Amino acid sequence: MKILVIEDEAKARDYMRKGLTEAGFIVDVADNGVDGLFYAREHHYDLILLDVMLPGIDGWQVMAEMDQQIHTPVIFLTAKGTLEDRIKGLELGADDYLVKPFSFAELLARVRTQLRRGSQQKLPDILTLADLQLDVFKRRVERGGQRIDLTNKEFNLLHLFLLHPGEVLTRTLIASRVWDMNFDSDTNVVDVAVKRLRQKIDGPFAQPLIHTVHGVGYRCEAEA
Amino acid sequence: MKRHSLTLRLSLMLSVTVIVIFSLCGYALYHSLATQISVRDDAALLTRIDQIRTLLRDEDAITLIQQKPRLFANMLGNTESLLVLRFPGQPPLIVVNPGQRPLPAITPIPADQPLTLSSVHHLVSAGGTPFISAAALAPTRDGNGQIEIVTGRLMRDRTQTLQHYRDQIVLATTLAAVLVAAISIWLVRRALSPLRSLAAEAEAIDVRHLARRMPGQAQAELEPLVAAFNQMLSRLETGYQQLSQVSADMAHELRTPIGTLLGQTEVALSQTRSLGDYQALLGSNYEELERLAKMIDNMLFLARAEDASQARDEQRIDLASLGEKLRSYFDDMAEEKAMRLEMALNGELQADPLLLQRALANLMANALRYGDAGTPVRISSRILPSAVELVVENHGPTLSADQQARVFDRFWRADASRHQGSSGLGLAIVRSIMQRHQGRCEVQSAHGITRFTLRFPQPA
Repeated sequence: MKILVIEDEAKARDYMRKGLTEAGFIVDVADNGVDGLFYAREHHYDLILLDVMLPGIDGWQVMAEMDQQIHTPVIFLTAKGTLEDRIKGLELGADDYLVKPFSFAELLARVRTQLRRGSQQKLPDILTLADLQLDVFKRRVERGGQRIDLTNKEFNLLHLFLLHPGEVLTRTLIASRVWDMNFDSDTNVVDVAVKRLRQKIDGPFAQPLIHTVHGVGYRCEAEA
Repeated sequence: MKRHSLTLRLSLMLSVTVIVIFSLCGYALYHSLATQISVRDDAALLTRIDQIRTLLRDEDAITLIQQKPRLFANMLGNTESLLVLRFPGQPPLIVVNPGQRPLPAITPIPADQPLTLSSVHHLVSAGGTPFISAAALAPTRDGNGQIEIVTGRLMRDRTQTLQHYRDQIVLATTLAAVLVAAISIWLVRRALSPLRSLAAEAEAIDVRHLARRMPGQAQAELEPLVAAFNQMLSRLETGYQQLSQVSADMAHELRTPIGTLLGQTEVALSQTRSLGDYQALLGSNYEELERLAKMIDNMLFLARAEDASQARDEQRIDLASLGEKLRSYFDDMAEEKAMRLEMALNGELQADPLLLQRALANLMANALRYGDAGTPVRISSRILPSAVELVVENHGPTLSADQQARVFDRFWRADASRHQGSSGLGLAIVRSIMQRHQGRCEVQSAHGITRFTLRFPQPA
């Protein structure tokens, strides 16, 4: 999977390249709109991450130029979160947007969503991690052959974890995906929910599956 | 385009008015004078013909005329007059014609007809001066037939009189206009002097003197302006103070996490440390940075909320299902604190769903944070004729009147020491969300119960 990152800010460009490469993508970067447009025309990319505020020709212009020839999905990155700005981007043909500052986990989740949409890849009905099994349709969870009763909320939370195995999920992302709470509510709701899920999933078993990433959030993984 | 000054415009308008009125009066007076003089002159001409007719009735008159024409000529004529006496078809007996003008061809009035003003013919001489003339026949005693009298008069003196009169009118009009202009400039200046002093007062008000107000004893016409201006100043002053306060508070709020970031990074980098230490540092840095990012988000949200042009997405919202969603979000947390959520939301509400959810979530987070263990948090709705009220109620420490007044301010926290996890912006955001909906938010706190009420006005 090849991703093109068009971003003029060096540090931002570097961490995105590093993070996306480590997540298993092939990443090209461009630090201005002209180069970005050139790369986008010359190579085939599965996804383009486009910063709106670029020197020379800005992100809107890049998008307008690309719209005619290139049908690669675009996620635009903007520092201005106004509704008008977002609408403008989506009207110009962008597939998604992220308002800076955003967490890398959020970016990764959006990237994966876009790529899945492009390939029409079907999600598996049964998700597994080590000896844990989650049946999406029957809404059943088993670990080591043992049935675990989860509340709706706990089930949704575990479902989210299993859809992103090995990825760090921030509290903001979890609140947004599980409860559709897209703002900071100044609470430790996510921590409480994860704590309760852990008691049921990891409590009775030797191998922990849900790990705390200090400061950042949580990760679901069968560590050695 | 720069507008002309009020003074100039007023004095010009007054001057033009004076010119128009004077001109109309002058024209009317002139016309009436000209008519009167003309009638008088015509009558004089006819009188002369009458006199000559009378004279010619005397038997001797003709003889006398024939004998001494110059005497008559001198007696009857002057330099402006024309007088010809003749028997039709014969050389004239008397010709007084100092201007050597050609005789007007006028049919004489028959001898038995009286003379009227309409018998006078108005002509214009070669030089443009009006010339009046009349002709009449007169019987003679000696029966030699009728004698023709042709007379006329060049109206040079009349023209002069009227010319003079006209000049005087023009002069008077001009003088009046100039005088009116000058007087009105002076008057308007004088009348507008309060405006100038107000301008001077206004000029003295700047950022450092926002507390100053315009003097109240203004003219009746200016009073509304002064009042409105002072009200605007009050609003500006309040806004400015709030803004300065917010800037100061924000700088203060930024200082704490940035100080932590700087300090712990500096200490960590001062010597080589284990991998675990670096990970812990970065994790801690992430926490502080996330807090900063959230604060910026919230500050931006508040800044935008004050921009009325911001688009809002209002929908009909089912309160019961919103309540379920919020319960699902908060019930674990409530349980952790040994508190209960009593959800009594019913009915529908017209509002922006995301903003409404955010306002309620902030109030609930607040209620759970400050509520006492073992007590309920009750969330209820009340449908009024033209509004919907949402109430979030918790049992906990009573807020003093002073605290109640400040509870919606940015960065204000009930306990002075930094409360973990609280940005101090939650209730400020609630207030701004209510402002966006043209609604109100209120707090009441008494006997250990604190109640927040959100009032959403609803379209009838």
